[in-house]
Amino acid sequence: MNAKRRASITALASAVIAACIVQMPAAAQAPEGESRAGRTGWGDPDLQGVYTFSTQTPLERPEALGDKATYTPEELAALERAAAEQRASDEISAAPGELGAAYNTYWTTGEKGRLLARTSLIVDPPNGRLPPLTERAQRHLEDRAAALAARQVGEPPFVYDLFDTWLDHPTYTRCVSRPMPRIGQQYNHGLQILQSPGYVVIYYESMHDTRIIPLDGRAHLDPSVHQWNGDSRGHWEGDTLVVDWRNFTDKQEYRALGLPQGESRFIERLTKVDADTVRYEVTVEDPANWTQPWTFVSLWRGDDPNYQHPVDLYEFGCHEGNYRMMENTLNGSRALREQYAESE
Amino acid sequence: MRTWLRRKTIPGGLGALIAALLLTSGPAAAQSTDYRAPRLPGTDQPDLNGIWQAVNSANWDIRPHAASPGAFPNLLGAIGAVPPGQGVIVGNELPYQPWAAEKQRENFENRLTRPVTRALNETTGDPEAKCFLPGVPRVTYLPYPFQIVHTASQVFIAYEFASAARIIHMDSEPASPAESWMGWSIGRWEGDTLVVEVTDQVDRTWFDRAGNFHSNAMRVTERYTPVSPYHLQYEARIEDPTVFTRPFTISMPLYRRMEPDAQLMEFKCIEFAEPFLYEHLLDASGN
Repeated sequence: MNAKRRASITALASAVIAACIVQMPAAAQAPEGESRAGRTGWGDPDLQGVYTFSTQTPLERPEALGDKATYTPEELAALERAAAEQRASDEISAAPGELGAAYNTYWTTGEKGRLLARTSLIVDPPNGRLPPLTERAQRHLEDRAAALAARQVGEPPFVYDLFDTWLDHPTYTRCVSRPMPRIGQQYNHGLQILQSPGYVVIYYESMHDTRIIPLDGRAHLDPSVHQWNGDSRGHWEGDTLVVDWRNFTDKQEYRALGLPQGESRFIERLTKVDADTVRYEVTVEDPANWTQPWTFVSLWRGDDPNYQHPVDLYEFGCHEGNYRMMENTLNGSRALREQYAESE
Repeated sequence: MRTWLRRKTIPGGLGALIAALLLTSGPAAAQSTDYRAPRLPGTDQPDLNGIWQAVNSANWDIRPHAASPGAFPNLLGAIGAVPPGQGVIVGNELPYQPWAAEKQRENFENRLTRPVTRALNETTGDPEAKCFLPGVPRVTYLPYPFQIVHTASQVFIAYEFASAARIIHMDSEPASPAESWMGWSIGRWEGDTLVVEVTDQVDRTWFDRAGNFHSNAMRVTERYTPVSPYHLQYEARIEDPTVFTRPFTISMPLYRRMEPDAQLMEFKCIEFAEPFLYEHLLDASGN
């Protein structure tokens, strides 16, 4: 619990540092959806650039905040100050003898995106919380928890998740995929938008995934075809790119929620609201998992010093170096099973 | 043929051009046409946007080769057989140093050896079987389509195989930060030809399933030239003094995928490679 709290405060701290260096973007205050996009050579609104999609703002509003949708500037400043102090003390405690914390600090500081003034990314429902799950989704989560419990050994505080097959690892650890849409991510959260006549392309550094979005009004892939990253079709509404995104596979799961995406449909709306910022709005329609649609809004920032054209998107070679991890976790799991079987 | 052309009153100049094309062959002839590709709007560059694919058997063997049965005829029948090919190497010969010619034969013999340790995983067998990023130039002639995304300031290539992708830096020449599987690409225009210099590739990728290989000293100079609305001529000059006695060039047409609504689909092959890579790890004996 203590470790968990510290991790989340460390996360806040990195946001504060970034916010101190870079002025809060005008976009955060600008009327939502007002476009500042230039034009491509063929007349489309120009969204191109290298951005980071990550933010410290949580998907759901903390329950204790009730109806409070935004922080006052004073509250935001106080949060940032507290987090900065915590970060300074974390850096000291992560020095000699605390390898675990130092390792985590290496991955998680300074690169996690800034806080928005809003208390949650979710803007609808108005309480900033995910709508109630369907019965089917609740059953799925129960089955999933039972499956996990079945491959755990030990007693708190030393409970180990065992991996009896490579399929017991999350798809991220297997280097297969990350959930879509991408919202918060601790590292490698850069992306690039490119445009050519008739297409908008989103290239995500993590997993070197490319979404090529046709704008010519063609039909989606046949509904029998399911893909990890779905199938995208776009059109312009004024200066906003609207993308209808579907055809996901059930093997793909919502971030941190553990729910299958096979019947999900997303409506994305991308608007360039200032020279460095794309407003990213997504409505999730997924009657298999939620009893009503929900919508979140985030900002893709082009002014993150870690993600600048031309060199800050680099090859995400993951699977190519994953063999030792798989060897060790499978061997280690077998050894732990034997050890616990003997002690019983 | 010429009579038919005259009867249809095709302009004489076009008839002569077609006749000239029929009488000559090879990439040099293809590039000597007067074809001028449409421009990318807002630029004076030829528009290379499109979905392209090689149609040849270079991924099995870039050298001239007869058909052969493949590794598991008892399991796969004719499905696993190797299609024949005239080869894509200009002059047909791969100028290996003697040790490297021997190494290629070893590679081929071990191409489907199951990796049993981390070290062997990195050094043994065909990286295509493991769904590793395939490197340049092999990624171009794998039997999967790729899409060139040509913007006003950049060229980006997305490949269906393994979700591989390359950023080709056109507006600057940033230094490569490190070796990588797909290398570091710096592009420029020579007339209507996109020229890309690819350096800093790891030494783990191969040219084909026959075990033809290179070192991390390889420098690849690619040339993409539009020669009709429907195809590009592709050339890649390979310089690798660690492995070869002299540079050599491969050459092939790349064809535009003409299906209405053609698009890249997903071939995220890691999940197809995992049983091959990891199944033996489930067994305590490690076999």
